[in-house]
Amino acid sequence: MYTIQLLDVITTAGVLYIVALGLLLVYGVLKIINLAHGAFLVLGSYAAVIATWLGWNPWSALVIAPAVGIAVGAVAEWRVLRGLYVRPLDTILATWGLNIIIVQSITLYFGREIQFAESTIAEAVNVGGVTYSLYRLVLLLVAVVLGVLVWLVMRRTQIGIVARAVIMNEELAEALGINTRLVRFVTFCLGAGLASLAGALITPLVSVHPNLGVPWLINAFMLVLVSGMSLGNLALAALTLGGAQVLVSSYGNPVLGSLTIVILAVTILRFRTITT
Amino acid sequence: MRKVYLNQLRLMLVTAILAVAPAQSQEKKPIVIAVPVGLSGVNSVVAPAVVQSAELAAEELNARGGILGRPVRVVPLDDESGPAGAVKAFNTAIHQQNADVIITMETSAARNAGAPIAERAKVPFIYTSFYEGRACGNYLFVNAWVPEQVVPPLIKFMTDEKKVKRWFAVGSDYAFGRGMIEAAKKTIKDMGGTILGEEYQPLQQSDWTAIISKIRAANPDGIIYSTSGGGPNIDFLKQLKAAGLTMPIGSLSIDELTAEAGGNAAEGVYYTGDYYTGIDNPENKRFLDAMKKKFGSELKTPNALSQQEYDGVHAYAMAVEKAGATGADAVLQALPTTVFKGPRGSVQMNKQHHAPLPIYLAQVQADGKTKVLKDFGLIDPGDQCPQLK
Repeated sequence: MYTIQLLDVITTAGVLYIVALGLLLVYGVLKIINLAHGAFLVLGSYAAVIATWLGWNPWSALVIAPAVGIAVGAVAEWRVLRGLYVRPLDTILATWGLNIIIVQSITLYFGREIQFAESTIAEAVNVGGVTYSLYRLVLLLVAVVLGVLVWLVMRRTQIGIVARAVIMNEELAEALGINTRLVRFVTFCLGAGLASLAGALITPLVSVHPNLGVPWLINAFMLVLVSGMSLGNLALAALTLGGAQVLVSSYGNPVLGSLTIVILAVTILRFRTITT
Repeated sequence: MRKVYLNQLRLMLVTAILAVAPAQSQEKKPIVIAVPVGLSGVNSVVAPAVVQSAELAAEELNARGGILGRPVRVVPLDDESGPAGAVKAFNTAIHQQNADVIITMETSAARNAGAPIAERAKVPFIYTSFYEGRACGNYLFVNAWVPEQVVPPLIKFMTDEKKVKRWFAVGSDYAFGRGMIEAAKKTIKDMGGTILGEEYQPLQQSDWTAIISKIRAANPDGIIYSTSGGGPNIDFLKQLKAAGLTMPIGSLSIDELTAEAGGNAAEGVYYTGDYYTGIDNPENKRFLDAMKKKFGSELKTPNALSQQEYDGVHAYAMAVEKAGATGADAVLQALPTTVFKGPRGSVQMNKQHHAPLPIYLAQVQADGKTKVLKDFGLIDPGDQCPQLK
């Protein structure tokens, strides 16, 4: 009876986690909210469009998208953001400008109308007595895999330790000889790449057009603000806030549901004590 | 010294005017058709096609000597798809471009801002977009559909042929979405159907999971939906298909281009309308060939929001020829009596400034293309403006 709601909650949490992961990494290491995150999502979904144009296997979009994201992110970080880190608020403004430029460039080239991208999986399967979208279940799996991968990198690799040092105390890390500039560069590229990968991953669920990133950016933004810098917190936030949105939409109506994540996030931020 | 200089300036100015004036009066004053359309903003996807329709019509008129021997000039302007832009565009059209007529499609918000300006300036305004209905004005004419024309035939078809008695209604949460579903509900009730559920989704939200789960739980015989135009149709249909739901779907918001761009997401969806590229009559074939010939690779495929512009320009031309003058009052008298036979069929704006229209039933095929299934004939718009006999 409640199988559908349960499946909706966990698959929605999975999708939100994938979309917010890149934003979290950039927030944790660079301490900025990358408002171009939505634009990287769009880049990733248009990578899927291009894969379809070229007649390649739709799964190839999952390789093209992060490649494009990393490339654009690298140029953006190097040319635009690097000089602005001493002024964090201006950096955030710069990412907003980047967002506008990327989205408008896509609009100029592709036009505003929706584009066609071949889907990888379109069937439904029988789960616990109900017919459910197979792709959503696959995305849940992908979310778990990505989360574990990033966690492993953070905890078990040299890069991870260096990144964590920068997250904890950047000035101290720099004093200890860590090349924080490189860490920021790599992290931004990774965040952009993950965002574009997320864009390609959500393409089978939505129509592809230049403004597709907007609803996702706001929700991802809220989740990241609530999670701080912890991957585990992000998963928890995706489950609780995302789940709340699904339940309010299911038992109430979607108009109220669209407010849920924002209201909950603001409430949590208001009442949570500051932790290190 | 200054006085002499000023006099010389005046002399030069007068000479210049006198030199140019005779040259101008030798050419016939063109008839200006202003097209304030959403070149930027939400209508920017459709606007180029609208301008192309107007330009083709103008070219055809000029090829036979224009209207009353005067050349036709189409002036596109940007109404930014909204009221502020519409006010600017209408004022420019009327006061700067001296438009004889305004023929265009716009968002309802833009139309509601621009129409009073045309009314005050006594400039005829032919509105070529389908809309929610009940917009009235002495100078406002509509040659596109209102819900009374497209909703009942679709519901009736699904009730009679697809045996849908238990419905689920879904819409986007804004005026058009709610308005169309309201019209659908009324028809469903009149036909004795029941509505199991009615859900609305905010415009920017692309995740339809909650609503789809409700549909699954209600298990209706059929779905009727009206999102906003374009992308949201495909969001909804893609997710519906992926969830394994296969009941018949009637759409009040999809169009040919969106359906095609959605791949097979919209396969099987039924929708009604007054124009499809697949309409099988000689005028439509001629129209499509002429558009391809004129615009070549720059062609924006004619669609249900742009084709009516072509009809509108020709209807105006016929009215002016009939009235023998471009004066607004003469044109207003003549417009309701002119019948233009175009790609849609015969269109006459004689029902309270609205037009009974030939309505067709179409279905999206597996490749995203639309196939016209049925012709319902002329459907009346009902009482749109009872005060305008």
